[in-house]
Amino acid sequence: MSSKRKPTNTKWSHEFDTLRRENLFKNPPQDHSAYPLLVQAISPHIESFNEVFREGGLVTKAIRDIGTKYYLDGDERTGPAGKNVLSIRVKDVVVQKAMLPPSNKFTTKRHIFPAECRERHVTYRGRMEANLQYKVNNGDWHSFTRDLGQIPIMLMSNKCHLEKNSPDLLVQRHEEAEELGGFFVVNGIEKIIRLLIVNRRNFPMGILRPSFKGRGAAFTQYGILIRSVRPDETSQTNVIHYLEDGNCTFRFSWRKNEYLIPVMMILKALVDTNDRAIFEGLVGLPGSKATKNSFLTDRVELLLRSYKHYGLYTKRKTRAFLGKKFRIQLGVPDTMSNYDCGTEFLRKIVLVHLGNVDVTEAQDNDKFKMLLFMISKLYALVGGDCCGDNPDAVQNQEILLGGFLYGMILKERLEDWLGTNLRLVLRDYLRKTPGNNFATQEFAKQLPVRLMGRTNENIGQALEYFMSTGNLVSPTGLDLQQVSGFTVVAEKINFLRFISHFRMVHRGSFFAQLKTTTVRKLLPESWGFLCPVHTPDGSPCGLLNHLSHKCKIMTKSVNASAVPQLVVDLGVVTGSSDIDEAVIVTLDGKVLGWCTPKQSLLIADTLRYWKVEGSHNVPKELEICYVPRSQGGQYPGIYMSSSPSRMIRPVKYLALDKEDFVGPQEQPFMSIAVIEPEIVSGESTHVEFDPTNILSILANMTPFSDFNQSPRNMYQCQMGKQSMGTPGTATRYRSDNKTYRLQTGQTPIVRAPLHNDYGFDNFPNGMNAVVAVISYTGYDMDDAMIINKSAHERGFGHGTIYKTKKIDLSEGQRSRSITYMKKAFGFAPGDEAKGRQGGIDEDGLPFVGRLVQDGDILCCWHTVYVDASGALKNRDGVTHYEKYKDGETAFIEEVRLIGGENGSDPLSMISIKLRVPRSPVIGDKFSSRHGQKGVASQKWPMIDMPFSESGMQPDVIINPHAFPSRMTIGMFVESLAGKAGALHGLAQDSTPFRFDEENTAGDYFGHQLMKAGYNYYGNEPMYSGITGEELHADIYVGLVYYQRLRHMVNDKFQVRTTGPITKLTGQPIKGRKGGGGIRVGEMERDSLLAHGTAFLLQDRLLNCSDYQKSWICKSCGTFISTQPTVSAYANRRKGTGKVRCRQCARKIEGALGSGTGETWDDGHGQRWVGGEDTTIVAVPGVLKYLDVELAAMGIKLKYNVGTA
Amino acid sequence: MDFDDDMILDQGPAVTITEAGDNFVNFALQKVDLSFANSLRRVIMAEIPIMAIDLVEIEVNSSVLPDEFLCHRLGLIPLVSKNCTEDVEYTRECDCDQYCSRCSVTLSLHAKCTSNEIMKVYAADLLVDHDRANPWVGTPVITDAEGKGTVICKLRNGQELRMKCIAKKGIGKEHAKWAPVAAVGFEYDPHNKLKHTDLWFEKSIAEEWPASKHAEWEEPAQEGERFDPDAEPDKYYFEVEGVGNLAPDQIIHEGIKVLQTKLATILNALGETKEDAGERFLPDDDVDMGGRNDFDNGYTTPGYNGPSYGNHGRATPYGATPYGQSGY
Repeated sequence: MSSKRKPTNTKWSHEFDTLRRENLFKNPPQDHSAYPLLVQAISPHIESFNEVFREGGLVTKAIRDIGTKYYLDGDERTGPAGKNVLSIRVKDVVVQKAMLPPSNKFTTKRHIFPAECRERHVTYRGRMEANLQYKVNNGDWHSFTRDLGQIPIMLMSNKCHLEKNSPDLLVQRHEEAEELGGFFVVNGIEKIIRLLIVNRRNFPMGILRPSFKGRGAAFTQYGILIRSVRPDETSQTNVIHYLEDGNCTFRFSWRKNEYLIPVMMILKALVDTNDRAIFEGLVGLPGSKATKNSFLTDRVELLLRSYKHYGLYTKRKTRAFLGKKFRIQLGVPDTMSNYDCGTEFLRKIVLVHLGNVDVTEAQDNDKFKMLLFMISKLYALVGGDCCGDNPDAVQNQEILLGGFLYGMILKERLEDWLGTNLRLVLRDYLRKTPGNNFATQEFAKQLPVRLMGRTNENIGQALEYFMSTGNLVSPTGLDLQQVSGFTVVAEKINFLRFISHFRMVHRGSFFAQLKTTTVRKLLPESWGFLCPVHTPDGSPCGLLNHLSHKCKIMTKSVNASAVPQLVVDLGVVTGSSDIDEAVIVTLDGKVLGWCTPKQSLLIADTLRYWKVEGSHNVPKELEICYVPRSQGGQYPGIYMSSSPSRMIRPVKYLALDKEDFVGPQEQPFMSIAVIEPEIVSGESTHVEFDPTNILSILANMTPFSDFNQSPRNMYQCQMGKQSMGTPGTATRYRSDNKTYRLQTGQTPIVRAPLHNDYGFDNFPNGMNAVVAVISYTGYDMDDAMIINKSAHERGFGHGTIYKTKKIDLSEGQRSRSITYMKKAFGFAPGDEAKGRQGGIDEDGLPFVGRLVQDGDILCCWHTVYVDASGALKNRDGVTHYEKYKDGETAFIEEVRLIGGENGSDPLSMISIKLRVPRSPVIGDKFSSRHGQKGVASQKWPMIDMPFSESGMQPDVIINPHAFPSRMTIGMFVESLAGKAGALHGLAQDSTPFRFDEENTAGDYFGHQLMKAGYNYYGNEPMYSGITGEELHADIYVGLVYYQRLRHMVNDKFQVRTTGPITKLTGQPIKGRKGGGGIRVGEMERDSLLAHGTAFLLQDRLLNCSDYQKSWICKSCGTFISTQPTVSAYANRRKGTGKVRCRQCARKIEGALGSGTGETWDDGHGQRWVGGEDTTIVAVPGVLKYLDVELAAMGIKLKYNVGTA
Repeated sequence: MDFDDDMILDQGPAVTITEAGDNFVNFALQKVDLSFANSLRRVIMAEIPIMAIDLVEIEVNSSVLPDEFLCHRLGLIPLVSKNCTEDVEYTRECDCDQYCSRCSVTLSLHAKCTSNEIMKVYAADLLVDHDRANPWVGTPVITDAEGKGTVICKLRNGQELRMKCIAKKGIGKEHAKWAPVAAVGFEYDPHNKLKHTDLWFEKSIAEEWPASKHAEWEEPAQEGERFDPDAEPDKYYFEVEGVGNLAPDQIIHEGIKVLQTKLATILNALGETKEDAGERFLPDDDVDMGGRNDFDNGYTTPGYNGPSYGNHGRATPYGATPYGQSGY
């Protein structure tokens, strides 16, 4: 039936389309989403994850890279001779979808869907199994399978039940109709792996970095850095350093240690070569221009000469030398020869993108050529012939995708398991049973089960740890600059915030600590790839960017296999650079050949034409970076990339009038006109489809943002994400800690067409308000805003907060199963009758819909033990209550009983969702979409509000002073457009850059207003609501979309006159939660002093703090020796009221004392006389505490007490 | 000013109705001063008592809307309030304990969806209890052709609403649901002859400022006419559109009545000032001037004859200051 239905329309207009949207909501499409742009926005996440587990995907490639591990038996201290060799390898890894464990015998529906995981606060994960193969010596391969635990699965990926589900099916599975996926559910929380910026792969970057000098003696600031990426997306960075004497050193980091090797050694190890070939490779044939460049020739000569003392001339010798030095680091078996070990070194470390497994000679030759090119570039850099590449520019960056990182970690865990972990287990085994060796039957029996079982094979747990903490535990560091902060919670405060998480790109937390701000700069290279507006202000400014909404990230390599032949056909010479002033041509970091500068332009242009045309098998997504020759500019050449992780974006290719994709590396060398009139004939090759393409999704939602001062648009991007909106429609199946919901959301009248394309009408984020710009009462000073009381009463800005409280009785216990049960929900026997009084049901759980206030009972439980029959019994008859501890009244929205996966565990966890209604109160924060935030300062009665001739009153009054300094003209335009739109029933297009000096926005909307009988400029005469008199000035009134921000006074207010104190000092406690005070710190104290406000100072520092009245002895001047006296005749409650100093008093020995004065009793039967010179003084409590502390150290404080 | 005016002056305020319909009346009010005209406007908006649902006793609500949301919606449903000024008591003034038929109307709502179709619950589904002050008060206002009224809620199969709504008398000052109008159009001096306002313009007022709806009712300023600084406005154009609780004429009548009562109360109080001032001058509930009383009982500093805020539990002995009570 569904196949006959017309496919769901995915084209959206900028109109309201209310009915269409409503229909989509009521009848979710059964074919595909109506919002393809949304799907596209998150696709890099899902596609990158899909790459990991698909057939021949990253895991398969990783396994190939890991290869076979070899272990020897026998005594470790003896040589390899005569020992058995165990070879073991991973054949493949299989990941299952989320399923119930076989131990659950209660249901036939075995799938676990993500919604269930969210509700149960567990991880959405699937079982991973590895098929292993092993052989002993040269025997046959034996296979066995091991369970590697459960790994978190990305939603909507190819391992998820929701993959390719239609919206209709998604709704049935308790998801959002427009569920996007791309995140993980970890312990019920939605987590997403951040996109990270890393160096562009396989491109040798010339780096000028002063810190290179600190690497050692003779090091200079020059270096060539290449981040070489293996097919499995793991990377290895190689650097060639330039030394002061002109020599070059190859540096790499392996397992977090750095190593330096003369670059010549690598060259010689790669291929059988001679000095002449290297010289010619670097300089050119004899007689070419470069040979006259004595700077270059001198250095190459030195390079060759200085290597002589190693005495390693052949490839074989060099490799053996390298192998000998690095065999420990590489962890190769003892049986491997030094030569093979050297080969292994080159395979694993040197330019791994050119050959990684089963490296052929041709590949070694590629590596050799690339190294030569790198050295040439380094010398050019040092000689000033070219400039350094900027690693902070998008040009030299790419994106590390979440899925790829996930795959990298998985690979490393696998390698660690098979390499390190198994080694330890085998060694242990051999030590304990020295008689056994690998060739025995016993070993063959034990290896697949017993021995493997001893290894730490729970890779799922490691991945879950990574997802939940974002911390990377890695022996290699994965060639990354940070170890934490890889994952973030995809908060669903509102839809804008949620969607932004997927478009967020972080520069890396390493750069956050950097003192220089150069990395944060907005560089022109990022045009069209990273949004210039959408970055937070404050500490992450410029480091946390967002992708432009048209920017895509490649997740697969495109097929560029035809390109090498094509360039040869176009005149590229593959042999060596035997052309004068040859320009290099590379593809994915592989040298294809050389050509003349003149040819290079032609080649680049031809390839581009072909790629846009789609002919000659040149893929459209191929990046062809043509760097022309220049005086000290970037190193010339044609650098083509077909690799994944690149950013690309669509622009129009003028020659064919077709869509072309450009990348960040090529863009700086292209002439792309922003708008059609800007096209310069003969120069421009491309034109933007739309200037708004450079903005992120959120920045595109700011209406008329081109009219605003730029920082205001940045603020809006922040505030849009903080507004109380509609997080989703499947709220019933979620149990987020805290979510916000706007009850009376509307669609904005003024919006960009993209608003519909991204389906934001499904998640309203604010309301249209009639806004008057007028200074009316004074309550609108300093960004305060006045709300019409009646508008508020009719529902303006009403919202709700949902909080989920989890009550877990099995907390801290190993298992949920009945044998470990200590507590159970419900009343202890005999207490059942108490239920109704406390407002909870007989089962000990709260009634749904009930109102709870501070101190009300949420649920109850009692302790249990398991008796002989296996039933739970209570012994003590005591019922324990869980209480609601929050000042605000709330309603019980949902009560969830949470079971386990086995279906047999008794109930030990519930979660209660509470609903807190939050209608706006004075002090709540609102904002327009132009970075104009304000706090509600009054709910002004309707009759006192100013009104227009037709009786219209504003919903909101803001102060005109909010505008001059902030220059948010966009808000004025929105106001005009909103007013005209409301009058004519139009949805107004607010796309930026649509108006210009000839056709102004004011004119366009002014005429609409005129048509509706209003003033052209949007002004209206208004009357004072209080006197009825016409106001002196006409007022600018219009409709502006207002957002209610989630910052509410109810969560923030902190006020105290008296309240709880800390016991020790008597000073107020800190923190809002406990009713503490706000500290009057040193600086506040200073200003009170400076103002001479002595009374205030005393009030704050003493009276409102630790004011205490204390007895002191005037004669000895101490607090600590005073004590109240005791008398048999005294009032029991008040005591004698007399306090005496024990130090000044004399003990009365015997029945009668000598001397004069009243005697007193100390309560221990001892009688005293004297010590009467005591009095009460007011002192800070801490002073007495100080006194006591000092006394403990043997220091006495003496106070001289006078009279004031 | 001219002789025509003088004649009308003798007859007191005049009302010219320009347009009227079931729900609205537009009229010009003449020969009153601005404060009176504005008072009428304010009273109409905020102080005419009408009925609205104020208390909801929810027995069952399994709909998707939370209780408080539903109650808010119910409150805003307009109820017929004809004659409720006389016939219905304010609950706070009624002799009954909670509410009774003299001070309230009970509407009950019971709806359950039993089919697979989405069921809409309308204002017409509210059942009005017959025990009420007069035969019409409290009936939901229904103006649509199908006679269903406002949608309250939508129900899905198995969802149910069962609740008792108590409608009470109140005024718009307290809550917008008790306002008989949403807005009152009010204008005077359409040609700005009095120069109360300063119309901003770029080129010319005539071009940029659209003429008011009521411009044709008055003569524009003549060329060279002298500005009279002492002139007062005296013709006010009202546009009153009711929500449906009261007919437009009733709204005006009630408004004037409320205004009269307020004035009478003041006169009454002023008349008695000689004998027992003080006591009588306190505003009583009925003519509460504020509606914003909550502003007055603000925070007062403890220890200065104000209410003392007791010390709770482990508190600083703030009361025991040199200038407060001693607690020792």
